[in-house]
Amino acid sequence: MAVILTLVRKDIANFRRNRAAVVVTFLVPIVLIYIFGWVFGLNQKDNGPTGIRLAVVNASPNPGAQKLVDALKADPAFRVVTTFVNPDQTTRPLTEEDLRPMIREGDFRFAVVIPADVVRTDRIGLHLKILSDPRNEIEAQTVNGLLQRTLFSNVPELLGQSLQARAKEFLGDSRFRQFNRGLADTVASAFGGDPAKIQRQIESGDFGLSRISHPASPADPSLRRIDNAAPAPAAAPAPGAPAAKPAPSSAQDFFSRLIKIDQEQVVGKDVKSPAATRLVGGWAIMFLLFAVSNGAAAFFDEANTGVFQRILSAPVTRAQLLWSRFLYGVWLGLIQLLIMFLAGHLMYGIDVFGHLGNLLAVSVAAAAACSSFGMLIAALAPNAAAASGLSTLLVMVMSATGGAWFPMSFMPEFMQRIGKFTLVYWSMEGFLQVLWAGRTFVELLPILGILAGITLVVMTVAIWRLNKKAIFA
Amino acid sequence: MLSLRSVTKRYGALTALDGVSLDITRGEFFGLLGPNGAGKSTLMSLAAGLRSPDAGALTLDGVVVTPADPATRTALGLVPQSIALFQDLSAEQNLHTFGRLYGLRGTELRGRIDEALAAVGLADRRHDPVKNYSGGMQRRLNLIAALLHRPKLLLCDEPTVGVDPQSRNAIFDFLEQRNREGLTIIYSTHYMEEATRLCSRIGIIDHGKIHALGTLDELLTQLPFEEEIVFPATPATAPLAAELGAHGTLTTREGRHHFQAAAGFKLSAFYARTEAHGLSPRLFTAGRPTLEAVFLHLTGRNLRE
Repeated sequence: MAVILTLVRKDIANFRRNRAAVVVTFLVPIVLIYIFGWVFGLNQKDNGPTGIRLAVVNASPNPGAQKLVDALKADPAFRVVTTFVNPDQTTRPLTEEDLRPMIREGDFRFAVVIPADVVRTDRIGLHLKILSDPRNEIEAQTVNGLLQRTLFSNVPELLGQSLQARAKEFLGDSRFRQFNRGLADTVASAFGGDPAKIQRQIESGDFGLSRISHPASPADPSLRRIDNAAPAPAAAPAPGAPAAKPAPSSAQDFFSRLIKIDQEQVVGKDVKSPAATRLVGGWAIMFLLFAVSNGAAAFFDEANTGVFQRILSAPVTRAQLLWSRFLYGVWLGLIQLLIMFLAGHLMYGIDVFGHLGNLLAVSVAAAAACSSFGMLIAALAPNAAAASGLSTLLVMVMSATGGAWFPMSFMPEFMQRIGKFTLVYWSMEGFLQVLWAGRTFVELLPILGILAGITLVVMTVAIWRLNKKAIFA
Repeated sequence: MLSLRSVTKRYGALTALDGVSLDITRGEFFGLLGPNGAGKSTLMSLAAGLRSPDAGALTLDGVVVTPADPATRTALGLVPQSIALFQDLSAEQNLHTFGRLYGLRGTELRGRIDEALAAVGLADRRHDPVKNYSGGMQRRLNLIAALLHRPKLLLCDEPTVGVDPQSRNAIFDFLEQRNREGLTIIYSTHYMEEATRLCSRIGIIDHGKIHALGTLDELLTQLPFEEEIVFPATPATAPLAAELGAHGTLTTREGRHHFQAAAGFKLSAFYARTEAHGLSPRLFTAGRPTLEAVFLHLTGRNLRE
């Protein structure tokens, strides 16, 4: 037993001395748990996405439509955009015509149009339009769900107006008013309340339907008094108990039949294999980062075995040695990316050959950025083991915050901002622009420029650090 | 050929080379003898242009050697202390890579690779991955990789570490042959036998300083005695050893006493004492002192300390 304990003690001592192992064992899980905590709402009161840019065009003069816009603005999931900024920085309200080009340009990926005829007079019901670029399936489905929830929570008044308008047209003005008065009197006598107030509510389209979608406790008096301005607050949950979730409302099924929502996919309509096309870029770039990180460890092997000494004793400069490592990383990355896309084409039908030139351009830029990342790891880490630990940590954090695993909008806005500084985000963006949005080379230039910029900055830092290290001697 | 003038190199608080001045002439086989940490590898890396000195200057045929000027390095070949080879590549691929770094191409490169592999007996294993080679074979390949471009000056930084005697002799023969052909060699080692066998001139280095410089004979004249008597360190010889301390220098290493008599102490007196202690004359060997004795005399410590 003493022998076993001695050997265990030796393993613990070795582990404690190996910082990389400590980082991978403890820090990586903690960081990932923290990130996933945000995604699954463990770190905040309201879980779900935040800050999704949503364009809203309200072409209806109806006050109920404005309430709908206000409700969308109040939802933390959305950052609502209603104005168009002209080149001279003046603004005007967005129009439906603005939306499609702006979605194609990536200004936002979702838009709601409330048309002038939102309240139909020709039949009972409402008419709305949702435009989207569903480049991320999970995000698109979540946003659709959120939009429908907000709409269904706020349309009953508009729906009542639709009913009133249809009834008015059918009955004529005087019979219509007489009908409403009779209805108000009946409601007042059955449930109590002021008949005049109830009639005004009925004529404004407020039948109290919105309260149906909010389940109330059995003792809730608002169920019996339609003229109550607001529903009674729900009973507070017991301390420590999870907050009660709203029960599925049958009213939503009812509304969904009365509300006509025109869905229009603006970008990616012609993509042959949407699900695989959306995913392939993120996964490809993550595996590429792991590959170049292994290259960083090999860098130390060559330094430790004296190969660098031998090479640098030849007429070779340090810069030539470093750039050769960088170019090797680019070559490796390019081959790996192309093989992954080819596999995606063969297994899932991703349209690779239709975009081959642009895909190649983005792949080169992404591979260069990843290769420079590998060089930076070699520059920052003191040895191969540390390089391995550091790269595992950074690759996972960049993949998570950069959107390779789940939509960035599922994270709080500060993490979304951090994510936009990662090469994972911009590489994925590049692949989606090519495979999903079918951009031209000229349209890709900004993203290619950003990836080139990342490469340049990271390589500059890496070379500066490597030149200061004793790794060459 | 290679000239060092007051060269100093520091690593933080440690002074690895302390004002070293040295001239290596063309065709010389120069040995740099010193224990681990003496400054040999630092001197080699400065001569190879891998580092810059903190003070002083190194010149090769009058041109300053610095990391910033790779052109001067075409005249140099470095055999690093470690096996500086690509382990997954074959011998031929390794030599091809290193040859190209020196601008060799095509048939000229192929010819030199064939010649080099044949010279060290690796021609029939040329396509095998280096990782499958024995230690001695790797050392031989490590050596010829530095010679492919036919340098004027070869820097060998302890090139026989961990090598079996057979491979070591093969390396010695190979280097002696190249030296006879005109190659200048600087050979660092902490094995006095290697320096004794190979080097026409030896520099004794310790704590970053050159303590002595010259041919083996010149170095031996620095000793205050001409002969050294070696005998086993046993309980039977202990009383004699205790007496000898007063008449010269007595050191003990690897189970043997080494006695260097002080001036005026006659060998006849020594053997009279051995008889007095009843020790057989066959226990004692007298001979020329070694480089180790010189090193000990100059630095006060053994080469292997």
